[in-house]
Amino acid sequence: MQQRNKLLVAAAFLAPAIIAVIFLRIWPATSALHESLLAPGETTYSLENYAYIFSDPVFLRSLQVTLVFLVVVAPLQIVIALALALLVNAAIPFVGLWRAIILLPVAIPQSVSAVVWGVAFRPDGPVNAVLIAMGLEPMRFLTSAEQAMGSIIVIVSWIGVGYWMTFILAGLQDIPKSLYEAVRIDGANRFQQFWYVTLPQLRRPLTFVLVANTVANFLVFAPVQILTSGGPQGSTNLIMNEIYTRAFVSGDRSSAMAATVVLVTAVLAVVLVQFRMMRSPEDKGI
Amino acid sequence: MNNNATMVRTSLTVLCAILFALPLWWVAVSALRPENDIFRYLSPLSWGTLLPLNFTLEHVVELWSGPFRLAIMNSIIVTTVTILVGLAICSAAAFALAIIDFPGRNIVFIVMVVSFLIPFDAIAVPLYQTMRNLNLQNTYTGLVLPGIGNGLAVFLLRQFFLGIPKELREAAMIDGMGWFGVFWRIYLPLSVPALISAALILFVFQWQAYLWPLLIAPAPDYKVAAVAIAQFSTQYDVNYALIFAAALFISLIPMVILTGFQRGFSASVASTGGKE
Repeated sequence: MQQRNKLLVAAAFLAPAIIAVIFLRIWPATSALHESLLAPGETTYSLENYAYIFSDPVFLRSLQVTLVFLVVVAPLQIVIALALALLVNAAIPFVGLWRAIILLPVAIPQSVSAVVWGVAFRPDGPVNAVLIAMGLEPMRFLTSAEQAMGSIIVIVSWIGVGYWMTFILAGLQDIPKSLYEAVRIDGANRFQQFWYVTLPQLRRPLTFVLVANTVANFLVFAPVQILTSGGPQGSTNLIMNEIYTRAFVSGDRSSAMAATVVLVTAVLAVVLVQFRMMRSPEDKGI
Repeated sequence: MNNNATMVRTSLTVLCAILFALPLWWVAVSALRPENDIFRYLSPLSWGTLLPLNFTLEHVVELWSGPFRLAIMNSIIVTTVTILVGLAICSAAAFALAIIDFPGRNIVFIVMVVSFLIPFDAIAVPLYQTMRNLNLQNTYTGLVLPGIGNGLAVFLLRQFFLGIPKELREAAMIDGMGWFGVFWRIYLPLSVPALISAALILFVFQWQAYLWPLLIAPAPDYKVAAVAIAQFSTQYDVNYALIFAAALFISLIPMVILTGFQRGFSASVASTGGKE
């Protein structure tokens, strides 16, 4: 009776959230899987849509662009975030203010950041003005197939590194001072202190940032859709933009659903790792 | 640390902060100067590049007479409702998952948080069709729904609830208080810091949302600010001054809120970061 009563109470508290999970995650994921297995005009399941997208050079190029983007952007952002965290992890005047300023861009909607950087990257815009003032050649940025992805990476990194810095900073502040004292007595210089104490102690926050950063960057959409629409020549066609284009520009729903399933599967794999890391060791039993 | 090292470190920090703030400063300056001045002081660079020499509030005022006003109001309404409903749903779920010892609790917790950790945008395209069939296109309900369930918020609140001594609840229940009373009168009042953090997470999600509002609310009456500014920027005769004024306004709200709660936000963000 007691057990049943508890179950009912728990169900009452959980009902809205469970309905939300089903309606907002499980149902759309299932319906994407269902539709992805139905070739256009067919009523029986087949892998035709998958065969189609995996032989479509546009989709394959988008996968390649996304993977290269992830491989570049994650280490880049983590190294910058780590450097910034090391820099602001000290008793300097107004340190809270400097940290807050570096964190600010993450608060701004990505579409706003995209629009603003789009103007900044114009051929006659301020970024080129700075390059010219430094005696360099002006660049084409978003209109060049070679530079467009680099420009997108600058934008998303300006937005994100302060956020990732926050995790690493918290990790740095958890490192016991005694560890540094111990190696200092052994005569370790600053680099050795960093290499033998800081980095090993940061293993957990750094891994977490790597995982969470990968999830976030899988979904980069607003800067691409607003600034390049995936171009020039598909050079910035990240997978989220590819799915959007298939579903709403070309109106090819079946292949958009297949691409969605590919994306959700990849993201789910990374999210499972992230979830394992979020739980503290004493939680591990469950 | 000796004085020299502190000096070097401080200068480097200030330099980095300036680099991050520069685009924002440029947005503010461009919003507060005549439109013709926006690209005027770029070559060569001069003081005019970074200071509004002909200061004007014209565009900020214009913002409130144009279609942006509606878009910003829509964003504020949608975000406020999301925070209120989201807090209710997430804290109730977190309470059950942390406090009530019912069979199957762990599996519910894992499925819920893992599902919500999948970024919403990944399944926005399949959900769009369902929502349209339910006639939720161009409604506030359609805009609000994706934001109300948030894995990080549930996770964060659950962690906090777990830390509240169970003696409090046991004593209250002996005195005849029910589960809802325990939740409402004991757990929620003791969890204000965690509720603020959860509210910030919900706020950032909804204020940032772009793909979903783009799909579900294309009608001018329901357009949110993040979508409106992107569409204005791709018009043939772009009014850059208005774009910058809008960018300033849309950014200022979250910047003020996040700066106000920065310590709490950073701490809560970090606490989901797999601390040992």
